Amino acid sequence: MRQLLDRLYAVSGAIAALFIVAICAIVLLQVGFNLVDRIAQLVTGRAIGLVVPSYAEFAGFFLAAASFFALADTLSSGNHIRVNLVIQRVPERQRPLIEAWSCLLGALVSGYFTFWAGNLVWESFEFGDLSPGIIAVPLWLPQLSMALGLLCLTICFIDLFVQVCRGEQPSYRTHEETLAGEE
Amino acid sequence: MEQILAGVVLIVSLFALLASGVWVALSLLAVSLIGFILFVDAPMGLVLATTVWGANNSWALAALPMFIWIGEILFRSSLSRNLFSGLAPWLQRLPGGLLHVNIVGCGIFAAVSGSSAATCATIGKMSVPELRQRAYNDPMIIGTLAGSGTLGLLIPPSIILIVYGVAIEESVARLFLAGVGPGIMMLLLFMGYVIAWALFNPGKMPAPDAPLGLVERIKRSGNLIPVLFLIIGIIGSIYLGIASPTDAAAVGVFLSLVLVWYSGELTWELFLDSLKGATRTSCMIAFILSGAAFLTVAMAFTGIPSALASWIGAFELSQTGLLVALTIFFIVLGCFLDGISVVVLTTAVIVPMIEVVGIDRIWFGIFLVLVVEMSQITPPVGFNLFVLQGITGENILKVAETAIPFFLLLILGVVLISYFPEIVLYLPEQMNR
Repeated sequence: MRQLLDRLYAVSGAIAALFIVAICAIVLLQVGFNLVDRIAQLVTGRAIGLVVPSYAEFAGFFLAAASFFALADTLSSGNHIRVNLVIQRVPERQRPLIEAWSCLLGALVSGYFTFWAGNLVWESFEFGDLSPGIIAVPLWLPQLSMALGLLCLTICFIDLFVQVCRGEQPSYRTHEETLAGEE
Repeated sequence: MEQILAGVVLIVSLFALLASGVWVALSLLAVSLIGFILFVDAPMGLVLATTVWGANNSWALAALPMFIWIGEILFRSSLSRNLFSGLAPWLQRLPGGLLHVNIVGCGIFAAVSGSSAATCATIGKMSVPELRQRAYNDPMIIGTLAGSGTLGLLIPPSIILIVYGVAIEESVARLFLAGVGPGIMMLLLFMGYVIAWALFNPGKMPAPDAPLGLVERIKRSGNLIPVLFLIIGIIGSIYLGIASPTDAAAVGVFLSLVLVWYSGELTWELFLDSLKGATRTSCMIAFILSGAAFLTVAMAFTGIPSALASWIGAFELSQTGLLVALTIFFIVLGCFLDGISVVVLTTAVIVPMIEVVGIDRIWFGIFLVLVVEMSQITPPVGFNLFVLQGITGENILKVAETAIPFFLLLILGVVLISYFPEIVLYLPEQMNR
């Protein structure tokens, strides 16, 4: 079980990273096209008019996918920030209470959010909503990334809550301590 | 009346959530949900999903992960060493000597990186050992780094300005242009301070290195070529208006990878580590922005921001009065929250207010960055302090103490841009023509 969950976070994190590479690739492609166009204009006096259709829209979709798929991995690796000032003063024995509260609240909010994200996907699907760009993408497809990413986040919060209740150190805390210097 | 009650309830619950260790993004979401349940009659779940989807599905925001990635790549490269050896021969003649390498190095790195912690860390990991070895005054080594690290946020590209621009739907390119003048101004102020300090404290300065011949100096400056090439590639295209910040960011990632490949440092490990770091940091920021976007909508439904704006309007407070009050408020807030959280909270409530008083939104963005910079170097929460603590091994209070003069210089910077708003607005206004 432990392995399976860790695998889930790692895989969704890797998907997120791939989407960031994809943003970079699609934008670079367009920049390259612009360059070719400009050269063509200089040489032949006419631009070819190369474009990656709807590339700005796709970059937005990819960004959303990257942000949502990375949520669980970012949480379990302690990269989501929190205010440590007060809870640092809490004695180590009471500390699990604090962590349990945060994780439980996280699971509730994230669970609620997941439900409504799923609802949004379903509605876009049912009404056949399309994106406004040149290439009309059915909107439920990119929106699915939000629902799935939030689902992973919810699972992660529940996982962390269980870890705390069992008296274990939640995974994000072990990382938090080593990472005080990073932004 | 109801708005006062709502405002108090929401502020108290927000601070309770934050203080109890709930993640910042989650606190923002939770407090907005509380606001909705208690004070708003609207389909909460639906608004939540559509708002957050809209906030994340954004072309302008796509610049964010890529600018972070550039910083992550360069941090892992030998760029900082090249900066040091290229700048040192030229700057050591100035009073204050190699301390200026910290400042100018940060200024240059800030022009390719969007984060002050990355700027501080990249320059500091090279210059601190070098300067200590030459027996420079330790508080000045740390202080100059703490101070000029903050240029990372001011000199474009800037993560905070992307976040601010996206949140208030203002052109990120114009905000970037607005940051140039104040960035150079702060650079000069920091250098001026170091020169003055060195002239007044000749006893605390070590003997300078043996001067190098002109040929050798020029040869060493060759080390600066790669970074100049990067700056021109990234920033040049934005300034010239050829590329949007997102295009420039993608080009920047590409150029940085070419750069580390050229110097033989490109490994899978570097690639994957930098990508992973960028993915996580960008996710963390995007999640906070999501929470803030939902909070903005919740706030608008409660009517608090407009009530607050008209309340402030009724005072007929002068701009100066309001700005002084806000500066103090932000410095206090910045003691507990990181810069990005401060900015996103502000956009939900304060931007409507400043518009009533007739303050320009772009100018306010730069003001906000300067004030947030101050909070980056004030304890107990300040990313730059954490970074410097890691590099220098000094404790955080000592680091903060060395940063005090630079904190004061930032305040001077705020005063200057208030009296001479052209420092901020000249370049973006040129863009209109």
